[in-house]
Amino acid sequence: MDGGRDWTVFDRPELRSGIGTVTPAGCEVLLALDGMHCANCASRAEAVLAGQASDVRLNLAARTVGFCFQPQRTRLSDLLRMLEQSGLEPRVLAGDDTAAHAARARRLDFARIGVATICAMQVMMLAWPSYFGVRADPGIAQLLRWAQFIVATPGVLWAGWPFFAGGWRAARARALDMNVPVALALGVAFAASAVRTAQGSGDLYFDTATMFVWFLTLGRFLEGRTRARAGEHLRLLARRRALTAQRRAGHQLETVAIGQIRAGDVVVVGSGDALPADGRLLENAADLDEALLSGESRPVLRQVDQPVLAGSMNLGEAPLAFRVERIGGETVLAQITGLLDRAQSAKPKLQQLADRMAAHFVAIILLLASLGFILALARGSNADQSFNIALAVLVASCPCALSLAVPAALAAATSKLARAGLLVANADALQALAAVDTVLFDKTGTLTLPALRLLRTHPLADAGSVRCTHIAAALERGSRHPIAAAFGACASPLLAQDVRHQAGVGVSGLVDGRRYWLGAAERAPFPPATPLRAGEDGETSIVLCDEARAIAAFALGAAVRAEAAALMEELARRGLQLELLSGDAEETVRVLAQRLNIARYAARQSPASKLSRLQQLQAQGRRVLAVGDGLNDAPLLAGADVSACMPLGAALTQARADLLLLGDSLAPIALALDVARSAQSRIRENLSWALLYNLLVLPLAMTGHLAPWLAAAGMSCSSLLVVANALRMGAGSRRMPLPHAFIQPATVH
Amino acid sequence: MTSLYLLIPIGVCVVLGAIVVFLWAASDGQFDGLDEVSTRLPDDE
Repeated sequence: MDGGRDWTVFDRPELRSGIGTVTPAGCEVLLALDGMHCANCASRAEAVLAGQASDVRLNLAARTVGFCFQPQRTRLSDLLRMLEQSGLEPRVLAGDDTAAHAARARRLDFARIGVATICAMQVMMLAWPSYFGVRADPGIAQLLRWAQFIVATPGVLWAGWPFFAGGWRAARARALDMNVPVALALGVAFAASAVRTAQGSGDLYFDTATMFVWFLTLGRFLEGRTRARAGEHLRLLARRRALTAQRRAGHQLETVAIGQIRAGDVVVVGSGDALPADGRLLENAADLDEALLSGESRPVLRQVDQPVLAGSMNLGEAPLAFRVERIGGETVLAQITGLLDRAQSAKPKLQQLADRMAAHFVAIILLLASLGFILALARGSNADQSFNIALAVLVASCPCALSLAVPAALAAATSKLARAGLLVANADALQALAAVDTVLFDKTGTLTLPALRLLRTHPLADAGSVRCTHIAAALERGSRHPIAAAFGACASPLLAQDVRHQAGVGVSGLVDGRRYWLGAAERAPFPPATPLRAGEDGETSIVLCDEARAIAAFALGAAVRAEAAALMEELARRGLQLELLSGDAEETVRVLAQRLNIARYAARQSPASKLSRLQQLQAQGRRVLAVGDGLNDAPLLAGADVSACMPLGAALTQARADLLLLGDSLAPIALALDVARSAQSRIRENLSWALLYNLLVLPLAMTGHLAPWLAAAGMSCSSLLVVANALRMGAGSRRMPLPHAFIQPATVH
Repeated sequence: MTSLYLLIPIGVCVVLGAIVVFLWAASDGQFDGLDEVSTRLPDDE
């Protein structure tokens, strides 16, 4: 495939369909980029694909890029060729290649660190006579020089190869990144030492070079590991993906590949096997292990007709049967994994700024190293001393710490939040969250539990209460709005047609040939003749109207989340202004706001009026976090400076929120604010340290007061300090709480 | 002192051998998933 570099083979439609997924938006493919080692390489890949492909998802940790392109307009071979010319070494991946590729990349990185470690230790041992000024026998001294050369060669040239390759690619692309000074310093130090070994005289820098490689590879490895850890819990899910399934065909079972399953199929899962798709349980209740999906370590009992998720494991003795509803990329499991990849591969604006600063800094270093060499010669130093000064400047001031400052802190923060059950879906969200001073909450499904219950039915006309409840249940059937769940338990024999949903207003449809409307009393086409009793303690009243009048009122109730009051107290303690915006009646909202100590609230809010309130706050200069359920508050979430939502099942990808609360709890919001502020502090500290360090060591190196080996140690320690400072944030709980928001309540036993 | 003429090359050979063995172990996946080892038994349970 790669050998002949004849990329045109991938333009053949039959091959293209085998390596990519054809969607209405185009063809989605995933490539391995073996030559992508740093943020600058990722920027080059982005630049190549800009304008040619959409939905570009770079994953630096796994060294992959996924994108969507239009085969009619763009040829895949052209994109592959351009990536190859940029030195990114593209390879086409298909299916399970991704995990294997990531594993190979991890092994290679680990092997390079190991070799660098062994070589650095041994070279320093072989160089010890020179450290202590021991005058060894000339023959022994020369033998030690050659031994250093032999041991240092794999340590510098193989373990340090990514820096040489990166530097060469950057030079070819006429872009300056941190690989350039590193490759120059390593290359010059190694070459000069090799020449002096052959000559049998002069100082050697093998120890400096090997130590430099070791520290740098270790810094990169730790940063990459932190980045990868952000998704380690969820990546475990991918391992439980089934490859085949038992599909029921009449009275027979047939084994089919997972790709052949369609929605509506009945699939049978044996004891101890994983479910291959999302669906609803048939025939018998089943014990499921949802530990990897939800964090619930106990078996969960799912009843007939309850939803079950791909990746759950059948713990029962008997096989279970379920009807498939969502397959492949539509499953909750696939959506979580996709969002995780997207979040990990996006580059935040702050990191882009740090990368640009590092690029300018590299140009200055190269100039200063040349200037140092020339000035030293002009001052009367010999070529060896001048070379030492140039090498020290090059090594000491390499902006590795600057490049690591932002990604290391953000990776540690994202990792910590993922463990707490909060997925960061937007790379810039943490920066925005740190500046938040106002929080807007939705009510239903956010501060209250999503599952409303039908408390009472009040017939307002001659229609019976059972008939009215059946009509309402038929209208709400299939909707994911919390109000629909209140009627979910009612098995209505009626069928609604031409159902129309109007966000924040209500739903209408034809039942038995008559049009009915269900929604808030204030917006009803025919208000009730007698005013409804005000809601009490979270109660909501809705009205059912036929074509001429209101025929019934329903009282719905939802419990307030147990953690809501504590969260409000925590947020108020942090000095945040809290507001509750709800589409419910004034009395209902007032009661809840008082109960939760929320001073500001607004009732009867449509999505448009919520957005209007948000814009009003933003015009006052406030930075707003909006928290909702992602269903009827999409404009509010989209307009807020940063948004968090508790998505319900399939609404995961539709909820374009910056932060996704995977657990059935609002508690991680307080943690997210703390972590975001802490991450900003770490970034500021890291950037300040990186700049301060360079300002301190540059004059010393320029004036010849810093030996190259000391410069390498200083620079490496600076990089490690930055990573270690970021990692401090990651300390804490490793357990991920329960994302039951995806799943309807079930019995745990 | 003359023994160093023998010991240094032997030492270099040992280091190179260690590198080869380490590379073989790494490519064979011996160091994969070190974090999971501590939780493998409880997870299996």
